[in-house]
Amino acid sequence: MSTSRTDSVNHLWLHIFLVFMVLVTVYPILWVLTVAFSGQQSLMFVDLPADPSFMDRLRAIMPWPQQVSFQNFIDVFTQQPFGRWLFNSAMVAIATTITGVFLACTAGYAFSRFRFPGRRAGMMSFLISQMFPGTLTLVPLYIIIVEWLHLGSNYLGLILLYSTTAIPFCVWNLKGYFDTIPRELEESALMDGASPVMIFWKIIVPLSKPAIAITALFSFMTAWNEFILALTIMDKESMYTAPIGLKFFVGGFAEQQWGYFSAGSIVAALPVMILFLVLQRFLISGLTAGSVKG
Amino acid sequence: MRTASTRNILAGLIVSLALGMGLTSLVMRAGHDAARIATIESNAVVTSAAVTEVIDEALSSEADVQVVVQELVEAVPGLEQVRVIHAGRRQLTASTNAEDKAAGELPRRLKREQKEWFDQVKELEAAYTTNVDEGKARKREILASVTPDEQLELVLPLFEDGEVKASVQTVNLPLFPSELGRGVGLLGVVLLLGSAVIMLALSRFVPSGLPLFLLGLVLVIAVLWVHAGVGISAIVEDRVVGQESVAERALQVKETIQAVPGVIGESLAITGWNLDQFRQPRDTFDAKGVVATEQVLNDFAVAKGRFVQGAFFLGLISLLFYYWIAAGWAAKTWQALVKYRGAYGFVMPAMVGMILLVFFPFFYGILMSFTNQTLYNVNQPIYELWSGLDNYVKILSDVDVFRTAEDGSRSVNYQSFYWTLGFTILWTVSNVSIGVTLGLLLALILNTPNLAFKPFYRIILILPWAVPNYITALIWKGMFHKQFGVINQVIQMFGGEPIAWFDAWFTSFIAVVATNGWLSFPFMMVVALGALQSIPGDLYEAARVDGAGRWDQFRFVTLPSLKPALVPAVILSVVWTFNMFNIIYLVSQGEPAGATEILITDAYKIAFEQYRYGYAAAYSVVIFMILLVYGVWQNRVTKATEGI
Repeated sequence: MSTSRTDSVNHLWLHIFLVFMVLVTVYPILWVLTVAFSGQQSLMFVDLPADPSFMDRLRAIMPWPQQVSFQNFIDVFTQQPFGRWLFNSAMVAIATTITGVFLACTAGYAFSRFRFPGRRAGMMSFLISQMFPGTLTLVPLYIIIVEWLHLGSNYLGLILLYSTTAIPFCVWNLKGYFDTIPRELEESALMDGASPVMIFWKIIVPLSKPAIAITALFSFMTAWNEFILALTIMDKESMYTAPIGLKFFVGGFAEQQWGYFSAGSIVAALPVMILFLVLQRFLISGLTAGSVKG
Repeated sequence: MRTASTRNILAGLIVSLALGMGLTSLVMRAGHDAARIATIESNAVVTSAAVTEVIDEALSSEADVQVVVQELVEAVPGLEQVRVIHAGRRQLTASTNAEDKAAGELPRRLKREQKEWFDQVKELEAAYTTNVDEGKARKREILASVTPDEQLELVLPLFEDGEVKASVQTVNLPLFPSELGRGVGLLGVVLLLGSAVIMLALSRFVPSGLPLFLLGLVLVIAVLWVHAGVGISAIVEDRVVGQESVAERALQVKETIQAVPGVIGESLAITGWNLDQFRQPRDTFDAKGVVATEQVLNDFAVAKGRFVQGAFFLGLISLLFYYWIAAGWAAKTWQALVKYRGAYGFVMPAMVGMILLVFFPFFYGILMSFTNQTLYNVNQPIYELWSGLDNYVKILSDVDVFRTAEDGSRSVNYQSFYWTLGFTILWTVSNVSIGVTLGLLLALILNTPNLAFKPFYRIILILPWAVPNYITALIWKGMFHKQFGVINQVIQMFGGEPIAWFDAWFTSFIAVVATNGWLSFPFMMVVALGALQSIPGDLYEAARVDGAGRWDQFRFVTLPSLKPALVPAVILSVVWTFNMFNIIYLVSQGEPAGATEILITDAYKIAFEQYRYGYAAAYSVVIFMILLVYGVWQNRVTKATEGI
């Protein structure tokens, strides 16, 4: 009894600090919710009188709208092409996930199970490629995709870029998992006359579902949230992805539409935020594992 | 050379010859095409120059130019249309174009949509005066373009008192002799089959291995030599044949013009029409139309040199192939491919993607950094844009961080590379320090035993990591808005003046650091928390038994146990922050005046706002080098401290 009393006294300051940090953390999120549900495009939560008092100012920073309205959510889909942009993002991210995971599975399987000339070199080259800075390849990639292949403002260009940049991480991730699957299963299948392709599809893939799912979700989230490449490649307004579209609402010289931005942000960010929170443990272990190897 | 079996050598011979001769033929075909185009142009220039001369005479003798022009087009075969434009009078003086004639009486004033023709005269005038001033032939004095129906439109200047005042536009049929560009035809096939037969015959007398390999090598070199030699002389021949046809054309034009009634054609000299694009005489034939072969060859010498170089280069590649196949390497590669075809099949799709879209761009980027490639010359071959180390010198010699204005006041040159580098380092160090301090502090607090609401705090404090960072950036940009942003509302709440955050570099810096601090501390917190939880409690107990206080426990137990997890996390977050494009690009946008630009946003702006691709590539290589140096240094330091 006495220990818990001293604990709660000692912890008071810790709780005060933690609550402060929670407020700082949550405020921007409440802010975007407030703007989204305000039904207006303005940055202000309330209309300030000409000579605002302390309480007026306090009301102005309280993250609660004057009236709650879904108008921004309706308008961003009906008045603005945000639905189209979400669709673009989804198309690109889904196609990226499928291609990226397929490429990573096959390569990861080969690196895990076969011994062949060039295996080490191949694996190391994947690792080294992670050290190339994005900017160094950005200009050449732009020239290759837009000037040579004429894939500017095209799903295919972005899908190619995203799936190849995701490959090294996915390959190493999956190879690590494949390494833990006992070989006996495959050996007995080999005895029964199964080909490597069959073994891969019938044994390895079903057994690795959890790892493949994590890899897939990772590729999906990366593609869904990617900004610079999409900004560079997608020129046409109808081909924007959701991030570029959201920047378009508030980044230009035209009138800034904070209401559309906030509503759109919530729609675009909510799924990946939930995914992230569910998957955080796996992602964090993957990240630190990768960094130790790198 | 033990593996240099007869079969390998024969295969090497056939493949390398087929490859070498095939590629050389492609290059030679390009040569023939170039010769044909040159001939078409020369024929058109000769015709056009003749027409211009006649019109010039007609103008000075005040004859009716419209009639002259009409008669010329009717008389001269291959001449489709003529227009005379007088810029000084802003007048369409004469034209054989049906629409022009239908539009009313000639000469008449130029219409607004015909300004292009007026501009052509001005362009020719500018080119002529520049060339005269410089004493060089640098600007084109004959404008050439291809019409949609593949005819050649030329514009030549007309002079009045030694100045360009008017122009003659002609449209010409593409004329070239049929014997141009016949190429080497079946020669390649004959050579290939012949040398294969010779090699087969030789292999009966010469032992396989090195002797046969060397014989094959000699044969490959000889055949490629002959093939390239014949090809190049065919191209040279094309030039001579082309010039002969031009001379013939000039004589034909002269005859037809002289037959036109009312045209003064006595003194026409065909050599005066044989001009290059700078209107300099080419002297490739004399007044009687006899071609001066030596002059033609002289003109072609530089281009010929390029073809020789190309053939030589392709020959070398073929020889490498010969070696690769004949010495048995190809067979070995093939065997490995067959033996491990399963594995290679599995790896190949990913590897091809990586090579094309990761490794190739990387090396291409390095190559680009040595050129002055921009958006406007991106289609030119890269070797023509080579500029050596210019970009690097320009970037690294940009040392004037402080500028002194005329009145003696000093200001910072925010565009300087070193300012940006300094700012990037400041940005990285501040953010990582804030992230580590805050993250570590929160982790230690959350690791306190018996703390209430732990899971609640943890899930809330991890939220900023889950929000996509471009959204975070734009939210904070809104909160830092000068007039409506909540941060200025808080300042005003306590009686302060609103701050224009992005008008001075320091406040702008605070804004971006606040944004980045918000989104980056959870990562450190999670890493540190994980490490803290894995420290066994026995360690603390042992420390307490030894009489260590709380601080000593922290110093000697907690910190060392955190190190293995924190060091990689710090390295990772240094690299992330150094390259944190989205925050700078979206929050401060480099404001004010590029002061808060970090290296990679600067590189991006150079590439995609100034379109200087080569310079941006060099800039990126410099960034890569900085990160590389950091990586090596960090590696050493980590290893050194581990040793202690």
